[in-house]
Amino acid sequence: MNLHRNVQKFFDLPLRMKFVLSFLVVVLFGGLVSLFFGLRLEHRTIFSLAQAKVRHDLASAWMVYDEKLNDIRDIVLLNARRDSIQAALLADDRETLFRTLVRVRRDFNLDILTITDRFGKVVQRTNRPDVFGDDQSADPLVSRALRKETVTSTEVVPRPELLKESPDFAERAYLKFIPTPMAAPRPEDHEENGLMLKGAAPILDEQGKVLGILYGGILLNQNYDIVDRVKEIVFKGEKYKGKEIGTVTIFQNDLRISTNVIDAEGNRAIGTRVSQEVHDAVLRRGVPWVGRAFVVNHWYITAYEPIKNIAGEIIGMLYVGMLEKPYIDLRNSVMLTFTGIAALCTVILLIILFFITSSITNPLRRMVLATNRIAQGDLNHQVRIGARDEIGQLAHSFNQMTENLKLANENLIQWGKTLEKRVEERTKELREMQDYLLQSEKLRSLGKMAAGVAHEINNPLTSILINTHLMLEKLEKRHDFYENLSLIADETERCTQIVKGLLEFARQNPPQKTYTSINELIERTTQLLENQASFQNVRIVKELDPSLPAIKLDRNKIQQVFWNLLLNACEAMPKGGLLTISDALSADQKSIEVRFTDSGVSIPKENVNKLFDPFFTTKSSGTGLGLAVSYGIIQQHDGKIEVKSEVGRGTVFTLSFPVEDHSPNSAQKGGTHE
Amino acid sequence: MSNRNKRRILVVDDEITVCKSIRQAILSDEYEVDMALSGEEALKKDRENPYDLIITDLMMPGISGLDLLKTLREARPDVNVIMVTGYPTIKTAVESVKMGAFDYLPKPFTPADLRGLVARAFKKAEGEDRGKGAVAGARIPAGYYYMLGHTWLKVEDKDQATVGVVPDFLKTVGIITQLELPKVNEVITQGNICGKISDADHFVHRIWSPASGRVIEVNARLVADSSVLRRDPFQNGFLFRIETGNLEEDLKGLLLAK
Repeated sequence: MNLHRNVQKFFDLPLRMKFVLSFLVVVLFGGLVSLFFGLRLEHRTIFSLAQAKVRHDLASAWMVYDEKLNDIRDIVLLNARRDSIQAALLADDRETLFRTLVRVRRDFNLDILTITDRFGKVVQRTNRPDVFGDDQSADPLVSRALRKETVTSTEVVPRPELLKESPDFAERAYLKFIPTPMAAPRPEDHEENGLMLKGAAPILDEQGKVLGILYGGILLNQNYDIVDRVKEIVFKGEKYKGKEIGTVTIFQNDLRISTNVIDAEGNRAIGTRVSQEVHDAVLRRGVPWVGRAFVVNHWYITAYEPIKNIAGEIIGMLYVGMLEKPYIDLRNSVMLTFTGIAALCTVILLIILFFITSSITNPLRRMVLATNRIAQGDLNHQVRIGARDEIGQLAHSFNQMTENLKLANENLIQWGKTLEKRVEERTKELREMQDYLLQSEKLRSLGKMAAGVAHEINNPLTSILINTHLMLEKLEKRHDFYENLSLIADETERCTQIVKGLLEFARQNPPQKTYTSINELIERTTQLLENQASFQNVRIVKELDPSLPAIKLDRNKIQQVFWNLLLNACEAMPKGGLLTISDALSADQKSIEVRFTDSGVSIPKENVNKLFDPFFTTKSSGTGLGLAVSYGIIQQHDGKIEVKSEVGRGTVFTLSFPVEDHSPNSAQKGGTHE
Repeated sequence: MSNRNKRRILVVDDEITVCKSIRQAILSDEYEVDMALSGEEALKKDRENPYDLIITDLMMPGISGLDLLKTLREARPDVNVIMVTGYPTIKTAVESVKMGAFDYLPKPFTPADLRGLVARAFKKAEGEDRGKGAVAGARIPAGYYYMLGHTWLKVEDKDQATVGVVPDFLKTVGIITQLELPKVNEVITQGNICGKISDADHFVHRIWSPASGRVIEVNARLVADSSVLRRDPFQNGFLFRIETGNLEEDLKGLLLAK
């Protein structure tokens, strides 16, 4: 569950984080694994090399060691064969022996050189001539030499024997143990015996009879010739950070008796002992030991081998050690270099990764942003990605999609607008049509009614008129009722006129259309008007377009309409004013518009709509049919009549007549006949 | 004047009031006026005892005025009939003239109007009695359209025509004392009044326009001297010139002289 949640958490991380984390995991894992194997490999190679070297160095040390032994052997052998020594021995001339042998010991740097008789009893010592006569035949080397063998070996020399040779030797051999951690416990706290390289050769006469034994040796305790020589030969005095790289030590048992390992005070570290581990391996089991060891105060790569006496007993060890520090430092520096390179590579890779992920995530982020903006309706947004990789292609597709979306959206909006406009247009048309139909229907039904009323009213009117006139005929003009009756007769006549007007209005004569010039009709109508006294104060301005095409009209009816409009306009300006009559083609060239503009009293808004209703009139006289009839006539011509009235600006009546076609033949066909 | 010499007139109208009013208007020593309230009754009465003049309403339930005219003329082609009509049926009235009615009179009218018409009707009857066999139309020049016994129309151009009065009409009129003509630009309609002739008997006779249109010229010579009307009725005696408005339709209501 937890793992699942963490995996989920990982997948929820930002893309870049995921990249970086995955990459880091791989790099760290790879780095650690390679470091591990690298270290192991290095360890194996460097340390095994080092161990091989140290083994080899140990062999070299042995060579030096053995050479020393051989030197001793040569010295004792050669001097045992000297006639002078044989002669002096035979003659028991101790004086001569002493002189000769002392010179030899000094010349060849031996510590001891002693001669015995054929029984092994000491005849002459070179250090202490006063001590002689003791039996050395028990000495393993002497006993072998007595059997005519020339032998060399490393031997432990007990303190009494050392004292016999020289108290100096006993002093050199005496060494108090310096407490050493890790050393094997020992009951003693000091060493008093010495370790010596010894060689013994028989002195033979001409018959091969043993005359005596010459034996010599070098006390190893605090004698540094061998170790320093080995160091010089093998390590050539190399130093590392002020420390000797190579060290050589001769152990007596587990005690350092000759060494060039330096202790903390800068002295040779004699008196210290070997670790328990080495002790067990080399001294107990007699096997060489190679490996890391902490020697005195530093880690060394070391090799120990046992030193055996002539009887094959292990009496000491020869040690060669190389300071581990250079190898450790080398390893560390290698490791450091490795780690450094790895870290550097990681950093470089991270930077590259950063840019790569940026090149992926930045466009993606931009696309996410773009998607958001598009989701919010901003279709103008474009993703700018220069690359032509998959993301670039995606961006391109995305832009294209947006473009298409925008186009579709624009189309939709355009459609919507067009639709709206069309709906508006249609609504307007419908409303106009409705008004038109309403008005037509109103007119038609009114016409019918008017016809019916007129017919019905005619008979009573006839009776009234006839009877009134009959009565008038019989009355004297001075009669009281004469005037009343005249009034009745007149009013009945008026009724007749009203009925006539009604019937005129109701009559739906089809128009007789001929090609007519609108301008000419206007001219004729205004001519008529100009003769009328009531319009003396009205100034008429005509703004006529001479290029208008002739259209099919019922000249009489349209003239009637013009007449009605002119009368209306003039009546609206009882004190005079300006009447403008203009005509022109409409903007869409589909109709001719005629305008009657007066500067008179405007029509109140509530009256504008009633204007074309039959019997609507604001005048005390008049039937109120003029504009209704005009409306009907314009309708018959498929035209329109509109009124606009504004306070202070007067009233505009606009008539529009459809232009059927623009063929040149139709123009002016109606002609004039004046 | 004895009953025997009195002119017999029958007034036909489905409305008794109108009948009575008309009867009152024309009742005089010279005329004996009967009434009928339907076409059927009128036919029956006329069959029993024929009338000198029948004044009938055009719009009646049952036998209409026009049917009555037809039936009467089938029996007596020279029957004298005046149609009384309402304004909406002017067209029918014009048609009735074409069919042989003497004249028509739109409602409402004054007693004077009616009396003038009745007088003309009898004058015409007298004239016919005098000059038997003379057909009125024979004297109208060929190509002239005319309203029987009234006016003529000469189509001069596609949309222009002159209007005049036929001699038959003038015969029914006494000495002309006054001639009233429309003004230029006035719009006139077929079958409606387009002028008036007053005669010495103080009758005012209406002149029916033979066509619809707008007056574009009035015969100035006539205004100066009305006698031209009788002397040269078809040429210089024309009344006025019109710009026709509905010629094709109007011609259907007229007769054509051959």
